[in-house]
Amino acid sequence: MGKRITIDPITRLEGHGKIEIFLDDTGAVDNVYFQIPELRGFEKFCEGRPVEELPRIVSRICGV
Amino acid sequence: MAKLKLAIYWAAACGGCDVAVLDVHEKILDIADAADILLWPVATDHKYADVEKMAPGSIDVCLFNGAVRNSENEHIAKMLREKSKVMVAFGSCAVSGGIPALANFKRREDILQRVYMDTPSTVNPEQVLPVTDCPVPEGVLHLPEFFGFVHSLNQVVEVDYYVPGCPPTAERIWEVVQAIATGNLPAAGATVGALDKSLCDECPREKSNKKIKRFYRSHEIIPDPQQCLLEQGLLCMGPVTRGGCGGQCISANMPCRGCYGPLPGVLDQGAKYISSIGAIIDARTPEEVKKILAGIADPAGTFYRFGMSTALLKGANR
Repeated sequence: MGKRITIDPITRLEGHGKIEIFLDDTGAVDNVYFQIPELRGFEKFCEGRPVEELPRIVSRICGV
Repeated sequence: MAKLKLAIYWAAACGGCDVAVLDVHEKILDIADAADILLWPVATDHKYADVEKMAPGSIDVCLFNGAVRNSENEHIAKMLREKSKVMVAFGSCAVSGGIPALANFKRREDILQRVYMDTPSTVNPEQVLPVTDCPVPEGVLHLPEFFGFVHSLNQVVEVDYYVPGCPPTAERIWEVVQAIATGNLPAAGATVGALDKSLCDECPREKSNKKIKRFYRSHEIIPDPQQCLLEQGLLCMGPVTRGGCGGQCISANMPCRGCYGPLPGVLDQGAKYISSIGAIIDARTPEEVKKILAGIADPAGTFYRFGMSTALLKGANR
């Protein structure tokens, strides 16, 4: 079994991310998983809000 | 004097609070002189594992922004609480849920269904939903659990100070940083970086105690820039919202959105606002009241725009 390297969190960007790198026995990269450990659900909670509100709500998807 | 050990973290947030810290412009150099940063994901490369290794109390002050939306947010909040002498709920999301807490109007399963199955841009023929433990050939990957309720920071850990705002303004942040650096803070539990009086108290607009016959949505009228917005029928949250923001929205001729949160002693900003509205509408019969209130497009989402974590009524997931 090779080595597992976890980069958590990934930094200097907006949002949350995590990378897991799996190395094989020779130390070469076998597989990489990029994960987004976050969800807020704008797609759903914008429903029911007045249309003129949306620019002021969705600007909070990313404030960077 | 030893440099202040500072951590700045974001949970369920947009990064606007982090950028607001940078909006102090060249004073950021003074912050860098006064403080060593031990964690700040938007700007520095420290990892959670680095923080985990620290002894309790290693961090002097943690500015925590963002709501607590999932188990990772909760885990990091608890870890930072343990490592920090002073925990600050920084920005509306940490203070009272903020915009992400509008999700408390929806059920967890409906959010997941919409996001991962139903949006027009989704292609997910195998109907895959995120899971907390995902077996892959190399081992098991872990994702946080998506909670059914969006929490404010003080619903998961003890909070020492509250700095409201979406985001807090740079001027107020600078005052808070100075207060922290000089140890000039009020008793724990206080709201700092905001006034103890309402936005109306510092609003330059003229009030004439006029009653209103109808409400307007912001695209339906161009309000008089000298007159009280609420008296012109716009849902301005000024009467029930702390001042200190500098009145940016009202100076742009837009009603206050309530992001600086309720006044001292007020438990529920939305309920307080309902009482303000009751005082201003000009109606003599229940029918007239009904007709005027029908002009409010989204009362719950408007009155609790930033406060659905701490509202007395808990939404769809109580």
